[in-house]
Amino acid sequence: MDNNQFLSDWGLTIMVFLPLAGALVMLLIPRTEEHLHRTLALVITLATAGVGAAVLADFDYGASETLQFVVNKPWIDVINARYAIGIDGLSVPLIGLTLLIMPLCIIYSWNHFPEPRNPKAFLILLLVLHTGMLGTFVAQDLILFFVFFEVVLLPMYFLIGVWGGEQRQYASIKFFLFTLFGSALMIVSFLALFFVTGGETFVIPDLIRLVPESDISRTTMLLIFGGMFLGFGIKVPMFPFHTWLPDAHTQAPTVGSVILAAILLKLGTYGFIRVAIPILPEAAVSWAPWIGGLAVIGIIYGALACLAQTDMKRLIAFSSVSHMGFTMLGIATLTDFGLNAAVMGMVAHGLITGMLFFLAGSVKERYHTLDIKRLGGILLKAPRMGWILGFTAMASLGLPGLAGFWGEFPAILSSYQPAPGLSEVTFRVYMVVAAVGTVFAAGYLLWLYQRTAFGTPTDEFVDADIPDVTFPEWIAWVPMLVLILVIGIYPNLVFHVTDGQMTAVADWVAAMGS
Amino acid sequence: MLASLTSVASALAQADGFERPAVDWHALAPELVVTGVLCLVLVADLFLPEDRKALLPSLAGLGLLGALVPVLTLAVDGADRLMFGGAYAVDDFALVLKALFLVAGYVVVLQSTNYIAEGDYAEGEYYFLLLSSILGMLVMASARDLITIFVALEMLSIPAYLLAGWRKRDRKGNEAGVKYYLMGVFASGVLLYGMSLVYGVAGSTKLVDIGEALATGDSIPMITLAVVFCIAGFGFKVSAVPFHTWAPDTYEGAPTPITAFLSVSSKAAGFVALLELIVIGFAGQTEVVRPLIWVLAVLSMTIGNVVALRQTNLVRMLAYSGISQAGFILAPLAVVGQIGSTTLTSVVTYLLIYAAMNLGAFTVVMAVARRTGSAEITSFGGLFNYAPALAVLMSVFLFSLAGIPPLGGWLAKFVAFRAVVDAGTGWAYGLAVVMAINSVIALAYYANVAKEMWMNPAPDGDHTPVRVPVSLAAALAITAALTFGFGVTNWATELGDAATFVASAVP
Amino acid sequence: MLDYAWIIPLLPAASFFLILFFGKKLPRKGSEIGIAAVGIAFALALATNVSWWDHVDNPPAGHETEQEAVVEGESAAVATPAQEGGDEAVAEEEEHTVEPVTQEVTWFENGGHDIKVGMLLDGPAVMMLLVVTAVSLLVHIYSTDYVGGDRRYTHFFAFLSLFTASMLGLVIAKSTLQLLVMWELVGVCSFVLIGHWWEEKANSDAALKAFITNRVGDVGLIIGVIILFWSVGSFDIIETNVAALDGTVAHSTLLIASCCLIAAVMSKSGQFILHTWLPDAMAGPTPVSALIHAATMVVAGIYMVARLYAVFFEGLSIGTSSVNLLAIVGGVTVLGGAGLAFVQNDIKKVLAYSTVSQLGYMVMALGIGAWTAALFHLFTHAFFKACLFLGSGSVSHAVHSFDMRKDMGGLKKWMPQTFWTFAIASAALIGIFPLAGFWSKDEILAGANQLGGSGHYTVFMIIGIVGAFMTAAYMTRTIWYTFFGEFRGHGHPHESGPRIVIPLWILAAAGATAGLVNLPSALSPDSTALRFEHFFEPKGNYFPAVNFSHPEFSLAIAVGSTIIGLAGVTLAYLWYFRGLGPHGITERNRLARGGYTVLVNKYYFDVLYTDIIVADVKGPIARSVYWFNQNVIDAVVNGCGQFATVLGRFTYERIDQQVVDGAVNGSAAAAEEGGQIFRQLTSGKVQQYGALLFGAAAIFAGAIILFV
Repeated sequence: MDNNQFLSDWGLTIMVFLPLAGALVMLLIPRTEEHLHRTLALVITLATAGVGAAVLADFDYGASETLQFVVNKPWIDVINARYAIGIDGLSVPLIGLTLLIMPLCIIYSWNHFPEPRNPKAFLILLLVLHTGMLGTFVAQDLILFFVFFEVVLLPMYFLIGVWGGEQRQYASIKFFLFTLFGSALMIVSFLALFFVTGGETFVIPDLIRLVPESDISRTTMLLIFGGMFLGFGIKVPMFPFHTWLPDAHTQAPTVGSVILAAILLKLGTYGFIRVAIPILPEAAVSWAPWIGGLAVIGIIYGALACLAQTDMKRLIAFSSVSHMGFTMLGIATLTDFGLNAAVMGMVAHGLITGMLFFLAGSVKERYHTLDIKRLGGILLKAPRMGWILGFTAMASLGLPGLAGFWGEFPAILSSYQPAPGLSEVTFRVYMVVAAVGTVFAAGYLLWLYQRTAFGTPTDEFVDADIPDVTFPEWIAWVPMLVLILVIGIYPNLVFHVTDGQMTAVADWVAAMGS
Repeated sequence: MLASLTSVASALAQADGFERPAVDWHALAPELVVTGVLCLVLVADLFLPEDRKALLPSLAGLGLLGALVPVLTLAVDGADRLMFGGAYAVDDFALVLKALFLVAGYVVVLQSTNYIAEGDYAEGEYYFLLLSSILGMLVMASARDLITIFVALEMLSIPAYLLAGWRKRDRKGNEAGVKYYLMGVFASGVLLYGMSLVYGVAGSTKLVDIGEALATGDSIPMITLAVVFCIAGFGFKVSAVPFHTWAPDTYEGAPTPITAFLSVSSKAAGFVALLELIVIGFAGQTEVVRPLIWVLAVLSMTIGNVVALRQTNLVRMLAYSGISQAGFILAPLAVVGQIGSTTLTSVVTYLLIYAAMNLGAFTVVMAVARRTGSAEITSFGGLFNYAPALAVLMSVFLFSLAGIPPLGGWLAKFVAFRAVVDAGTGWAYGLAVVMAINSVIALAYYANVAKEMWMNPAPDGDHTPVRVPVSLAAALAITAALTFGFGVTNWATELGDAATFVASAVP
Repeated sequence: MLDYAWIIPLLPAASFFLILFFGKKLPRKGSEIGIAAVGIAFALALATNVSWWDHVDNPPAGHETEQEAVVEGESAAVATPAQEGGDEAVAEEEEHTVEPVTQEVTWFENGGHDIKVGMLLDGPAVMMLLVVTAVSLLVHIYSTDYVGGDRRYTHFFAFLSLFTASMLGLVIAKSTLQLLVMWELVGVCSFVLIGHWWEEKANSDAALKAFITNRVGDVGLIIGVIILFWSVGSFDIIETNVAALDGTVAHSTLLIASCCLIAAVMSKSGQFILHTWLPDAMAGPTPVSALIHAATMVVAGIYMVARLYAVFFEGLSIGTSSVNLLAIVGGVTVLGGAGLAFVQNDIKKVLAYSTVSQLGYMVMALGIGAWTAALFHLFTHAFFKACLFLGSGSVSHAVHSFDMRKDMGGLKKWMPQTFWTFAIASAALIGIFPLAGFWSKDEILAGANQLGGSGHYTVFMIIGIVGAFMTAAYMTRTIWYTFFGEFRGHGHPHESGPRIVIPLWILAAAGATAGLVNLPSALSPDSTALRFEHFFEPKGNYFPAVNFSHPEFSLAIAVGSTIIGLAGVTLAYLWYFRGLGPHGITERNRLARGGYTVLVNKYYFDVLYTDIIVADVKGPIARSVYWFNQNVIDAVVNGCGQFATVLGRFTYERIDQQVVDGAVNGSAAAAEEGGQIFRQLTSGKVQQYGALLFGAAAIFAGAIILFV
């Protein structure tokens, strides 16, 4: 594992803070220079992607279970917080996803910024968001992690609240408070963890090493894990902490929902795999049945809620609850299969649901409504868009050969044989429920597709001029569509990266957990 | 002043035959500078023609900055100095807080510059009183003796009473002054009573001796009573529930710069005194202190927050938010004696950061109020459209107060959490959870203001940009820089960590 | 060639993308690409077959050693007590073992498992390659005329290609996971093609029904595959079979697994009780019905069972029992499907139900252990049923309708070619000697008679014979309504063009002669006897050998079934052509009427599924869940917020302002009156004010003194 020296010293840092720097530059440019802002933002995100690509290219995939590009410098000594960053097989796919999505979002909003336009502010917030998300995926110190984890809140709050839909204010504050509630308890857990391990460090690998050495009472572990569970579970979001999601998604501007679905939700699941489970394997084992239970409830519950929706975007939002359920189920099994499935699920859901929200946005823009009853015959009005919608819906219902399947099937597979110490019976029940969930997924997605794309346009839109996919949309969508297909055909693209790390985690849990 | 000091000294010398203590002029330099400047302001006010009065704020400001110089030299020199038989200490703790008071004072002067000049009130007295109050705080930072503490307290309070009622012709202004004054007097009474009890038990006014005397452990009711009354007295200064009732009305009625001054500097001074008393004087009485502070902290946080939720006036809201912030600052004191020096560190760190962000918030309020002439939350509607910079800065300060990373506030809250969790007792964890929930509630009303600024239209479709005078801009620059800096660097914590009492002054 | 057979699926796959991206620009709108690809695939499939036969007859060098290995494997198996009579098995095996040809590459690594994707080429696979490519090619040609000028012509061919690709991929799949993937893909193609004319809601409904019903079955498939994976430790089909045979997998596990998989068979192969989607699927263009819903996709279920036969054979202990789930499902379907075929007026619906019932035969055959018979029937059925569907398409092409009773009749003289091909195919289906159906169906009946444990599967033989009778009857009815009597439609129907007729003749010919490839040894020299069994039945340690035997040809059954078939024809002839019999009995006799209504309503399955289950889930259940979400969970969340606000108001107004603050509020007013603040000092309020301060302090002190 010999990474390029410069890259391993500076690569990640540059990648993380480049967008922020760009945002500062844009602050100084007057609001009227809209085109300059757009171009600048795009250039910055692309540059970030470039740096990221250089790092990922230099990443040693043979040793994906070891942290690479590690930087570990003192930051705030008094509270033992360190600037510790590094990436491994878990971070890489998510970083890749982030680097991909952000430029696409900027391209998508190229010449239609949601009301009240103001591209300057909009783009600056996106860039801040970018830094926050990347930072979360590279942070290896709990405090640093926490800081980045929270940094994403503000921009998203404003994106929803300022550029959102009708109930944007309610949705935005709900999102904000809900998530903060989780993270407030999470930080208490972090501190408790810090002190019970001797008050030495917040650096995750060290904590993983320290926890077994320092004798911590079982109850303490369970409580600490519980705090983290709230923090991450709300972000995922897990039933029953999901109610912020539909509102946030429905109200957010298109790009906002895309980022929310594609990346922000992943912060939660990422947190479970990165922080909670490796540091507290024992507690994880005790919590796993509950997590799994909530996960499968979420699968069915979300799906049923989808069937009741009349608004396309809201339906997609609820489908996220259902899909993240599969991811959480995979995590709950604490097995290599399950964890791999989870990461794959994150990537797949990111691409697919992100794509669905893009489409919803474009439909809204053309029809000025997302009321399923009023839509219909999209395939006649805008055939290409209709087919893309169909393709994405198929991917979303977990069709083999497309990315979604590789998040769902292995998760179900793994729950037949959960980690040692977990009740097989319980998890096999979960398996069956989850498998039934796939039927519901087909149900609500195809039903949606039938009502929107099939059939003939409703009277009000028969003569309406509905333009087909536009150029910026092509640019923004093609990469995602291609990836959905490519990953679906050759899932090893992701599994190969994650497998080492996930196996390591699973083994660690198996060793420590029981 | 200088003369008086020496004469007092010589008088003492003649009284009973002991050596006149050697006065360490270097150690006293900050106080002396401020003293000089405030005399200068008074005199200048007499002789300056009306059109030159604008010099006064600059003079006061420069004076405060000037006083920073000796503070720095003392810091560089680094030696702990104990004077007047241990009644007056110039140690790291004192220096850090003097610096805080001076900088905060400077920002207040910047805020006042236009505000006072444009209101038709006498300027000279204003700055004179302001400086005297600051002088009191400087003394408080060094006081290690009940008498000194009390003198300092009155020295910083009495000018503050006057300043609070500065807007004579305004009903609210009067109410502010009167209420503050009355409550202050009572608080002093309570405090004095407590102090006398302490003296009665300990037989000394020096905190060190008190610490040793009370360290016997067995807490006889009288000691308890004494401790509780002393803390209650300062609970008033830091506006902790239930001693907070003066704060909202006073804040609303007082001139906004003074509101800022009260909510930051005088509150900080109160905490300084509390720290000195609790950490040194009542070191042996933690069993009494802890539950008391625990209750105060929880009450302040919770009541301050929930009440702030329904405020429609931004200044009142900030007042209540200040109350809940006080609760957070108190929290580490609720586990004092169980976490070593972390108490000091966290409280001081919190004070530094809190000063930066709260002053910043008030500065924006002033800048906006100059145009809208109101501090109603609704009057901030649409600010983001016509004054984006102010809106962004306000959001920064508010969310910093709410403790959202990477803004300073999160670090302040974090050190508080850290100190509390460090204790590891059930009570401590309970407190931590209360804090966690409260920080969520707090966000609700801070975000409410942000919502007003970003998401709502201007109440009067008026979109003319706001003109921000230089002094306010400067104040904004300082506070914003610090708010950000404290959040992502180790400045605040390093200072807080450095702020330790001179060893020989701790039992 | 065998090693490169995996190219065959890739050709249509490539053509799918080519048509999708360039089809519209081409002179023939992309159909040429599809036909070319499938044509080449067909040629390669033929080549594969030829070389496979050679592979079977004279195994490649170095095969001996492998055989040894096999023998050892077997004898190791013998050691396990589970199997008696293993010795003969060994003996049998040693005589002829045919090593399947396999190719595989890593698909992905997961938790140390190295999941492979690859090709498993053995008898059934080779056979299916031929069937699929052949029928697909003919359907392609047929479609150029049939859907000519359609709005989505190009897209139609694109998906024909994709379907062919996925079906071929399913055929040569080496691992159950790969099978699962392809299984779903063919499902999607079926979805898209059924919904080809999605402007009408009916069609898209049918498409959704097909896909979702299959999803229900897939739950079974997914779980079955998972169970097998964990108990075998691999997705590999051969390893799975071997493990199932040599007893490494517990019998109970195999039982559960095979029951799960049967659910998948039910949905994909239109077995009761998940068959309802198949008739609706006729909403798709007729070529699609012929290719997907008659010849190939719907037999995927049968093929899957045949592939994993060891699992079912052991799990359901087919070899020794006299009744089992698989056989029952098949048997019920045979009769249920045939019954429904009687009351249909839509010619395609008749054929659809007949398909259901024929698939029932295959499943039943597998259920009773007649593996070869099942695949043989699959083989023959593919041809004559495809022919029938295309024929019905040809008819509807002429009369623009599928309704036999309203728009057809007397077409014999208008479109003779269609008639004759249709007649031949029907005869084959009925099982008239010596057409294909006769041989394959007969083998199944013989199997039912001879195979199995103590009691034999006699029941299923009877079912089979009854089924044959009904088949004969409803096909005769169909021919009557379509081709005889008076023309009831309007316009002048005319024979279809060559691109439709030629495929009809080819298929008819195949349907007539396909039976000859597996002549019973009793009736023909060894060189020609049982060729199908000889070439296509797997021989190796992954195929059940213990307790597995082949039925002998029995003249009695052959003749008997034929007679009964003819009886069916005759009865129907008398009823329809001659108009004899108690017509209108359904009006007069309550019992008959009841039975008729039940049939017309398809045993009320659709009512149960669509109107009860689906409607409830979509409607009340979903709505109540959402209500719960909005009014319970979300209410709690909002409740917290409101509580905080209310608490705030209360504290502020009742406590903060009233109790303590009221005290001094007067002072300001007073102050205004000449600023006489000091009057207030005597006003008493201030006393309580101070009292508060001291009081609070004192209370704290007291509390601490008492409790600390």
